[in-house]
Amino acid sequence: MALVILRLLGWRLLVAIPTVLAVSLLVFIVLRLIPTDPAAMSLPPGATAEDLDRLRTEMGLDLPIASQYLIWLGDLATGQFGTSIFFRRPVADLVAAALPNTLELVISGLVLGVSFGMALGMVLFALRGGMAAQMLDLAGSAIMAIPEFLWGLLLIIVLGVSIPLLPFFGRLDPGLATPDRITGSLMLDAVLTGNIQVLGSALRHMALPAMALAMGLVPLVMRVLRASLLDVAQEDYIRMARLRGLSESRILLRHALRNAVLPTVSLIGVQAGFMFGGTLLIEVIFGYPGLGNLMVDAVRNQDLPVIQTVALVYCVLVLALNAAVEVLYLTINPRLRST
Amino acid sequence: MIKTRRDVLKLGGGTAALLGLGLPAQVLAQAAANSGQITVAYPTDVPTWDPNARSLAPVQSLYKCVFDQPLTQAPDLTLQPALVTDWVFSEDGLALDVTLRDDVSFHDGSKMTSEDFRYTFFERPRQEVPEGQRRLDTSFLWRKVQEIEIGSPTQARMVFSEAMPTAVTWMHFLCSFMVPKAYMEDVGIAGFLEAPIGTGPYKLVNYETSSRLELEAFADYWGGTPTISRVTMDIVRDPTARVAAIESRRADAAIDVPIREASRLGNAPGLTASIGPVTDITLLQLTNSGGFSDARVRLAAHRAIDKSALNQAFFLGNAVAIDAPAARGTPGYPDDLEFGFDTDIALALMAEMGHGPDNPIEITFATTNGVFPNDFEMARAIAGMWAEVGINASVEPIEASTYQERLRAGTLPEATMYQWGNTTGDPELYAGYLLDPNSIFSAFKSDKLGEMITPLLVEMDTDARFAGYRAVNKEAVEAGDAIGILQGVKTVVHVTDLNVQSYENGWILPHTWSA
Repeated sequence: MALVILRLLGWRLLVAIPTVLAVSLLVFIVLRLIPTDPAAMSLPPGATAEDLDRLRTEMGLDLPIASQYLIWLGDLATGQFGTSIFFRRPVADLVAAALPNTLELVISGLVLGVSFGMALGMVLFALRGGMAAQMLDLAGSAIMAIPEFLWGLLLIIVLGVSIPLLPFFGRLDPGLATPDRITGSLMLDAVLTGNIQVLGSALRHMALPAMALAMGLVPLVMRVLRASLLDVAQEDYIRMARLRGLSESRILLRHALRNAVLPTVSLIGVQAGFMFGGTLLIEVIFGYPGLGNLMVDAVRNQDLPVIQTVALVYCVLVLALNAAVEVLYLTINPRLRST
Repeated sequence: MIKTRRDVLKLGGGTAALLGLGLPAQVLAQAAANSGQITVAYPTDVPTWDPNARSLAPVQSLYKCVFDQPLTQAPDLTLQPALVTDWVFSEDGLALDVTLRDDVSFHDGSKMTSEDFRYTFFERPRQEVPEGQRRLDTSFLWRKVQEIEIGSPTQARMVFSEAMPTAVTWMHFLCSFMVPKAYMEDVGIAGFLEAPIGTGPYKLVNYETSSRLELEAFADYWGGTPTISRVTMDIVRDPTARVAAIESRRADAAIDVPIREASRLGNAPGLTASIGPVTDITLLQLTNSGGFSDARVRLAAHRAIDKSALNQAFFLGNAVAIDAPAARGTPGYPDDLEFGFDTDIALALMAEMGHGPDNPIEITFATTNGVFPNDFEMARAIAGMWAEVGINASVEPIEASTYQERLRAGTLPEATMYQWGNTTGDPELYAGYLLDPNSIFSAFKSDKLGEMITPLLVEMDTDARFAGYRAVNKEAVEAGDAIGILQGVKTVVHVTDLNVQSYENGWILPHTWSA
């Protein structure tokens, strides 16, 4: 199996190179065609027209777009992402600080979304045909109709203000210091340093943003899993299991679920990509210091080096995620390994 | 398998129990303002911990928690000594002698001296920057400084290449913060950004980009140890989340809360709202082009704007209407200027041009959308007022960065809604930038205004300088070269137990608060 997986990853890597190049070109051209002047945005009072021209030259904004792109690409190839116009710090540092946070958020959202979606999918299957199932299905439709950022605000109002169960800004309770940076992931670093208090606080602060992100995923997973389970339930081996006298819960968990979960895994792969997009507004609403927040700041300030780099990072993340889902798919579906 | 309603309830109960186990009891309690420790929901973060790097008005308050400026301002904008106790210009205005306090320590315990002053305002701004890096903003602000001569640890003389009457003003504006020479040279800029120290009232003890600043009172602060011993600044960018933060009492104060929410929360038990005008201004940047190439149209446009109605509709009457591009009460604002809302005069001016509501002049009116409170909505309201006198304005949103590009290229439309910040109140930092045709920030290029402003840039007689700017502002309004709209409004909602000091320039300085 390892060989099949390696072959798949190799192929994915090969396909990823032109994809990343195409995305980089698209992002670069779009940003250069917008009539903006990041140089003027970054100059203070006291600057003169000559200062502006000099800064534009320093930033390479006076060069033809093709030259600018090639220079940028050359810098990328040598691991140089440039300096942020707004933050005046290396873009690599900014991304390195924000990326683990966004990964934590997306992974937490995925875990919550998949867990609740699968649990509810099984409940829906178990209640099939009844009024409760119809109500649950209707609730799913309603949940899907509400965008993530609105869920964020609703969750803040309900679980943050009306019933103040959970914190909704920051990453830790006041007074708690962030643990020493090992991986850059707050929760992982809390685990590695054995700081349970920080871990607990980080989990509580993560709950609402992760829930807001997960809300769109739950009904989708629920419905796809329910549909798959209904299909699988007609299979001969399920009938055989019933004839053997196995309980319904055992049939569901041991036999039906394993085979019904494949379409759900595909769906999760697609939805996880969208989740990265959802982090933009969620991170702003919850004051979460991830890539989304960084991107919003960069767009507001026309921080071209940051916008370009973060867009590329998103692209790479989505490609990596798709590859991971395919590996998972391959792992749980033996039939695919021979194709 | 779930067969009965009881099974469903069991499943639900189990899920709830699992969720509950993960939530410690402490989160069930509302956060309350602990004596000496507060949490503030603040709308913006610092871009960098180098306080000399960026000149951004919204973050000046955050820097002032950790760093000090040579001078400062009282809540009513009165100039006050800070690290510098005395300052005297030479007669020709080419030198400024300053006396520094001798009891100031940086957070690492080292003493502040005139060497630090020289380093901050002369050496650092002139340092070579590595390729790909940007110069410090202080290199632009203090470009006229030719040398800083050290007289003693507490005496220094700034020598200018040209008279700089606003040198004193710049000593309490934007990024003019004192930094420690020895420490910066020891740890380097990377080390400084990791562990910044200043002479300010608070030490930065914990920082997470875009999320939180934790500040601890500096016991040896020259101005006395702050009453609030620990301040957590949570960066909450979304205004709705800031409302929720104070409403749930997870924060003890929330800054820049939407005005209607601030008004509502101010009536809630245990909360107090402070809503007041500040020195930031909203104005229309005009161009002498298209439908606005005739001064009569611009004057009619100004007459047609009912600023009182805008104030009432968008700021619940808490803003202050302005005619000139300056805050009322500041030295450059002409007290005798009352341009006034008068649609009859506006109609008459338009009629002179052969235009009116039935035969309108077409113009484009650009506005930012969401950059400052109610910008787009106010622009639409103004367009509605203009339509009544015969100016048909097509309202177009413009990004802040696009505005800069079009300003530089001279392609801004007839009018653009814009906000300008100036915490000092100094007229040069209003009209001197907004109306001087040589400034990269001015949209309206008037030779006459240029001739009036140029000598004021080096005028060392303060009274004459202020009088000159009052004349500039009056001329600009009466010639239809400028349209002031309203002063900005600052909102702070806080728990009633917290005494919050309001500043007319909008500064948020927790070291002046008490619990």
